[in-house]
Amino acid sequence: MTLDWESRENTDFVYRRYNVIVEGPAIKPEDDKDVKKNMPPKEPFRELALAVIHGDSDRAREATKTALASTPPLDVIEKGLSKGMDAVSALYAKGAYFLPDVMLSADAMMVGMNMADAKLGKAREKKGTVVSFVAEGDPHDIGKNLVVMFLRSNGYEVVDLGRDVPNADVVSAVKKAKPVMLTGTALMTTTMTNFHHVSDMLKKEGISLPIFGCGGGAVKRDFVESYDMGVYGVKAFHATKLADAAVAGKTWKDMRKEYPKIVGEFVGEYADRL
Amino acid sequence: MGIFRYTKLAYREPDEMLFGHAKFPVSAHWGLQFGAGYVVPEVKVAPEAGSERSKEVMVKECESIAEQAAGRAVDIGLPAFLLEQEHVYQQTHFPDWGGACTRAQADVLERFHNEYGIKCGLRQTVGDTRLEERGGLRGTDYDNEIAESIEQCAKNGASDIAAETMGGKSVLDYGSMRGDIRAILFGIGVLGSIDMEYFWKRAVRICSHYNCNPAGDTNCSGANSVMYIAGGLLGKDFSHTGAALARAISAARSLVAVECGATGPLKDCGYENTIVKAICGVPIAQEGKNAVCAHADVMGNLTCQVADVWSNESVFHREEMGGPTPGVWLQATGYEAALMNTAIQTGNAKILRDLYTLTDKYRDPQGTLLAYDNAFRVAGAIVEYGKDPYLRARAAALECSKVITEAYDAKKLMLTRFELDSLNKYTSVLEGLPMESERFIDECMKEYPKRIPTFDPKSYGL
Ligand code: B12
Repeated sequence: MTLDWESRENTDFVYRRYNVIVEGPAIKPEDDKDVKKNMPPKEPFRELALAVIHGDSDRAREATKTALASTPPLDVIEKGLSKGMDAVSALYAKGAYFLPDVMLSADAMMVGMNMADAKLGKAREKKGTVVSFVAEGDPHDIGKNLVVMFLRSNGYEVVDLGRDVPNADVVSAVKKAKPVMLTGTALMTTTMTNFHHVSDMLKKEGISLPIFGCGGGAVKRDFVESYDMGVYGVKAFHATKLADAAVAGKTWKDMRKEYPKIVGEFVGEYADRL
Repeated sequence: MGIFRYTKLAYREPDEMLFGHAKFPVSAHWGLQFGAGYVVPEVKVAPEAGSERSKEVMVKECESIAEQAAGRAVDIGLPAFLLEQEHVYQQTHFPDWGGACTRAQADVLERFHNEYGIKCGLRQTVGDTRLEERGGLRGTDYDNEIAESIEQCAKNGASDIAAETMGGKSVLDYGSMRGDIRAILFGIGVLGSIDMEYFWKRAVRICSHYNCNPAGDTNCSGANSVMYIAGGLLGKDFSHTGAALARAISAARSLVAVECGATGPLKDCGYENTIVKAICGVPIAQEGKNAVCAHADVMGNLTCQVADVWSNESVFHREEMGGPTPGVWLQATGYEAALMNTAIQTGNAKILRDLYTLTDKYRDPQGTLLAYDNAFRVAGAIVEYGKDPYLRARAAALECSKVITEAYDAKKLMLTRFELDSLNKYTSVLEGLPMESERFIDECMKEYPKRIPTFDPKSYGL
């Protein structure tokens, strides 16, 4: 290079790495004040929660094995593993955890949950069922996979139809599974139009889903609200709050109006509906 | 039979690399050349929502994109431009749609070329419609329709064909979501390279029957996806040091298209092309600050440094206050290219190049990696192990890690704890990996097929 920065100071007029500037001191996740408040104080629940928080599948397997020897499977899930996942969601929401941390925690959660389910022997009552798909002709499935992961690790049954899913298959899956909500993901101008078709087809079948959430690159709120049942989904982790709202009886019309309130944070895309 | 593999760099030193200049320039019809001493602006615009309802509507839509771009090019006095159409699903899935859209756009460009003498080119980027979990990547109807779409485009007036193939995506997605660098290396460096060879041998063969260049293939599904997920400085979905490593790995993979006979201009989007150009000297397209219509990056100027084609990224086809987007965004890339070309003509090109580089070299570790002097080092690591796709991808990542660590130690680049920790963690995993391809593949094959239901080893001959 013929040119170079002479000294560091000069660069302050060109760029600033704000992420470094605002970074707080390193703390263990379990010492975070919001996590502390909700941590189960007693064993075996504390260890179950910690295994999930640290995203350690092996530790979760051991902890679940130990816990199941003395504790009912439902308690293992609800008072232990789930508490850990709640902490993880809180850490992610405030920026202390990154997505890979969340995924590893979700994996650990699933390890424990599957063991507890096996011990239970019968199907555990889930919070509700959600059907998820990526629009016909569209391969972009990262957002959908995140939605599925967040919902599953928060106790929802998810029928994951995959990507490039024909509209007719979406409708028949909805008829069969009777979900509390349907999530669609599309990222392209020429595939997002399928949301509209699916909405029309559902309407013809006399089905009204409380919510029909969608997200993605080319997809904007205006478009999603141009057909019935459409609710514009912004962040994948909002899906659990939206599903909770659906279970609590909120309709798609309520969700459009109350989106920021339901997900509990400022959402730029809904700035006019704070 | 094995393909040719690069074991030497195209340039002796990084300073020889410059925008608008490639060791091996490429000519196309309508008078256009790439890497021949000037930078060519490019524009691409996505067909409007609803235009997929019929072939006729889609063809009209594409024709109007071409007309609006060419009209603006002449209006503001651009000497040359490249129009790119990134296929939407329907243009590849129904090859006759792709062919008819190409024909309509080619006719518009030819008319402007004949009337004004403006140099122009038409790039068609076919969509990779294959789905690994639905029958695999090879020999399915999806696979065959891509070949047919390439042929239709080549036959109907495209000056070049590009792609963004998805080989290795199933494993890569698993890895990027969990911060598993070994899976990222296996997905992009090994599986991606295997699929590229399959895909590009065929694409080159098809193009050779027509007056159409097989251009190349950027790692959108890897390097770009990871960059997009990593986001801005406050993003919390993937570490920026990890994104830099993924991009270094992707250069080893994207090189395969050239090794199969692709000529450039290599497609933008993955941002790995500075490294690839250092190795093979073919012209490259790049995007950065004029792709803000599509995504935000943290190296908007830097990527101009050695670009031969300067591009936007697919934008909505609609009206801005300044007019329809094909004209608006061509105007943005057109003026930037004019600046670079003025620098070349006045003997100031290397100064401008270095200014571009310096604005972003330490804004983010991804910029540090891609700064042309550092990219050159990574390119060197790749060719040292050039014959082995796995080893060269691993070497690229390790050299990238060295480059970033040195800049950090010299206090030129600041890193967060998360960025530094993840860099150190990934580096020690990479260092511990075997030095034999077969062993690495064996180890990965013991683990990933059972963890990743959408991964289809058959698609890679494994
Ligand atoms: C990564 C990527 C790819 C990867 C996808 C890998 C994968 N595993 O999915 C690959 C390489 C495969 C790809 C291919 C193509 N792509 Co692409 N791609 C992208 C990119 C860069 C990022 C998308 C992404 O994964 N984002 C990250 C995820 C996490 O985001 P997300 O899915 O949107 O989800 C977020 C929200 O939407 C939300 N969400 C999603 N669903 C739901 C649901 C609910 C209920 C809720 C609450 C929230 C929610 O949650 C997430 C955030 O937390 C975008 C750029 C952009 N601006 O979006 C282009 C983009 C979408 N692609 C584009 C194009 C053109 C293509 C191709 C057609 C290019 C080609 N010709 O080859 C091909 C498709 C070929 C085909 N089969 O048709 C264009 C679309 C243009 C258009 N016509 O509209 C874009 C916009 C880029 C651009 N400007 O050019 N692409």
